[in-house]
Amino acid sequence: MMMHRTTVLAAALAALTLAPDGSAQRFGRRGRPPEAQPQAAPQPEKPAENKKVESWTVIQGGDVHVGDGTVLRRTHVVLADDKIHAVGQEVEIPEGATIVDATGKVVAPGFCLPMASGFGAPGGGSDVREGLNPFDPTIKMGLAAGITSFLWTSGSGAGTPGGNSAVVKLAYGDLDGMVCVENTTASMRMPLSAQDLSKFRDLVEQARKHQDAVKEAASKPDTKAPAAPKGTEEILKVMSGEKRLWIASGGGGFRFPGMGGSGSRGFDQTQIRQAMEIASLLGVGVVLDRPIEAWAIADEVAATGSMAVVSPRQRVENDEAAPDTTGSNIAQSAILHAAGVPVAVTTPSGRFGGSPSIGTGGIMGQDLNTPHVDAAFAVRGGMPNRAALRTLTLDSAKIANADRRVGSIEAGKDADILILDGDPLHYKTFVETALVNGKVVYRKDDEPFYRHIRR
Amino acid sequence: MDRILTLRRATFAALALGLAASINDASAQEPSIDIYFGRKPAEYKVAITGPDRVESPAYAFRFAKIIPVSTAPIDDGIVLTRNGKIVALGKAGEVAIPQGFELVDMSEHWCVPGLVDLHCHIAAKGFDLNDTVHQTNPEMRTVDLVTMDHEDMRNALAGGVTTVLYIPGSGSNMGGFGTLTKTWGRTPQEALLRFPGCLKIAQAGNPERRSGDLGMTPLGMNAGLRETLLRGQAYYEEWEAFDRGEGPKPELRADLEYLRGLFRHEYPIAVHTQIYQVVLQTIRQLRNELGLWTVIVHGTFDAYRLSEFALESGVPICNGPRQYHFDRGSGWGSGSGMEGAFVGTANGWYAGGMHGFGETQRGVGIDGIGINTDSPVVAQHELTLQCAMAVRLGLPDAVGIRAITLNQARFVGVADRIGSLEVGKDADMGIWSGDPIDPRSHVEMTLVNGNIAYKRDPLKPRF
Repeated sequence: MMMHRTTVLAAALAALTLAPDGSAQRFGRRGRPPEAQPQAAPQPEKPAENKKVESWTVIQGGDVHVGDGTVLRRTHVVLADDKIHAVGQEVEIPEGATIVDATGKVVAPGFCLPMASGFGAPGGGSDVREGLNPFDPTIKMGLAAGITSFLWTSGSGAGTPGGNSAVVKLAYGDLDGMVCVENTTASMRMPLSAQDLSKFRDLVEQARKHQDAVKEAASKPDTKAPAAPKGTEEILKVMSGEKRLWIASGGGGFRFPGMGGSGSRGFDQTQIRQAMEIASLLGVGVVLDRPIEAWAIADEVAATGSMAVVSPRQRVENDEAAPDTTGSNIAQSAILHAAGVPVAVTTPSGRFGGSPSIGTGGIMGQDLNTPHVDAAFAVRGGMPNRAALRTLTLDSAKIANADRRVGSIEAGKDADILILDGDPLHYKTFVETALVNGKVVYRKDDEPFYRHIRR
Repeated sequence: MDRILTLRRATFAALALGLAASINDASAQEPSIDIYFGRKPAEYKVAITGPDRVESPAYAFRFAKIIPVSTAPIDDGIVLTRNGKIVALGKAGEVAIPQGFELVDMSEHWCVPGLVDLHCHIAAKGFDLNDTVHQTNPEMRTVDLVTMDHEDMRNALAGGVTTVLYIPGSGSNMGGFGTLTKTWGRTPQEALLRFPGCLKIAQAGNPERRSGDLGMTPLGMNAGLRETLLRGQAYYEEWEAFDRGEGPKPELRADLEYLRGLFRHEYPIAVHTQIYQVVLQTIRQLRNELGLWTVIVHGTFDAYRLSEFALESGVPICNGPRQYHFDRGSGWGSGSGMEGAFVGTANGWYAGGMHGFGETQRGVGIDGIGINTDSPVVAQHELTLQCAMAVRLGLPDAVGIRAITLNQARFVGVADRIGSLEVGKDADMGIWSGDPIDPRSHVEMTLVNGNIAYKRDPLKPRF
């Protein structure tokens, strides 16, 4: 046991030394090499060349946390309408540009949260657009917490990928600006019974045959592409990278073992290994939804190109038979990150359960009012401070499969930007200004929430 | 508000005259609040205390920074510990390290006092603290339940928490008697600081009897509390008369014996009370009318608006597990004058303010504010996170660290043992990688009574 644990950490530390922000590209441990590579460095969508820019904004002179773990001192960010146009210390300031002075401030990408509810996008239903409310007051509260987008989900597949999703922006007052991308993820629950796993294997095999048939049809001029076999539609989307598959554990209930919780260790190694088997079958990395024991098999997770959403401070008791390799570990985000697994952090949803949301009930730390403090707990567990910002920005955007649009301050990406009064992960830091789609949608001094706090 | 002010001033004056037994904590500086304290251990007749001295090795620690809390921080300092106590502390080079002391080099770490939480429900393996058949339960106690070796206590140590007031739940108005215990000990007896640590009262906001019988609203709940407390007071007076040789020896009453100690001011009432209206009842009934040593250990929602009333009544506040009040501008909890704001309640108590009234209300100040978790509602090891959230919302840093150490120790009368790093006090220390309030810092080692109770495993740190 100790040997294994040491190996994991040694590998993790080696990875940390060599490539602090390395990508998770590896071949599957026992499957085929990944075909689609959704986690490769995203190419931001290029704005149409001929599009006339209506308004220019320059965020001037702040220390820019790019979102990938790097920081550019005293750097300007030029926004063309709703997109980032240029980032640099020497940039051309377009005539008539609105200047936002960020001297002495910190500029960071808006947080893209992998798990949230509220913010003007009610749960349930199959189409996120049906319930949108751009004037929901929790949008402003979310912006005050640094959140500019989140992954909205509805439903999940039983034994196979399913459900709907969208990345929703906190574009206050702008209905058209709220939906960033739609159905970039699918989800399913673990564990699968032997029978369900066997069915799933069959479907993947059918999907592969179908892919081959489509390729063959494409090579022959007069052949029509065959229809996808029933039940493989979602699997095909996951295999092609169009959708990222989230895998959650059905065995929860570990929050309050003494108060009626099941005492189960939740998403343990057995279930994680099954999820890795699914990733290998599909040939693409998957997203593990709070995999409690992934830290103990980080190399196996990395080998499949998979990713993880974790709540760093969630405590789950270990199995007394194998205390060193079971249960939660506050170092889990650090170990996974060092192994090359993209990690997003989420908030414990608190004793009242449910998807985390903005709170007005007062139990701070169990709501989404301070997501940066959850990333701070990843630092407590050993993740470097700068890299830990990725857990709310670039890596969380990757996990939502929206990193072509959001998650970092790079030319071509959406202008979802925060101006902060300090280190992004310091508990006392507040958002001073938030922009979504290039528009200022929150100013601390203009809203009642935190304007009374002055230091 | 004016009427209340007049009333409470009169009551307070009467109490100040009438209660000669009151012994105030001596402090070098004028404290920001004149907390009503009870008796010292030498005068206990009902309460019991744990051993004052326990075996522990002779250690000489060297730290990057020592935060004694009661005195100014020391950079590059030495702390010597032996047999459960701090035997010396000061700047490196100024403190001689005697022979036989094992040198422990923690010269990249900070040393802070072991943290104290006065609202804890996790000092036993199970969570079984609400027996709610009766509305008041003075016959119940937690001292028999304390267990050391379980997950929640290990996590507490990993969060730097070394002393807790382990209290019954708030399912009934009077849950029973709490225990002041360390979070580590070779036996529960070794860990014991004092039993009873307090009487637990839950004034409202949980103990409501929802089946519709007596105690459905504050009227009935207060009646039940008052009746039980007055019975206890009568029993206490019988014993006092006997002790003066003025009456027969009373028959021992198991259900009232600990109330006798309460009226002897050997320990306080720790009150789960919250919301302006309810805290008003608490301070009036328990502190000002019955004259009891009263500590608020929940103190949330808009109750901070009573900061001046608490100050004048000598009632200190532990604030939590809620750290802010959000006034929606209408209905229950409104009137704070801070509509739509996330108001830090710990800071509201501490600093005072307009609080929605016509004149500024004074706050309880640096000596009157504590922060609690109500573990497991907020995990015990997240006491520092609660403090970070309070500081985020306005509480000054220097007050934050006091609020989770020395202040809480003083509130319950055990500051002679714990709460700050001073020669002669218990060697309860959290050894941190940096500022303990910053969630990015972690505990490297925790000492309880001079013994290493937690040491961080670098491969699998606990918290």
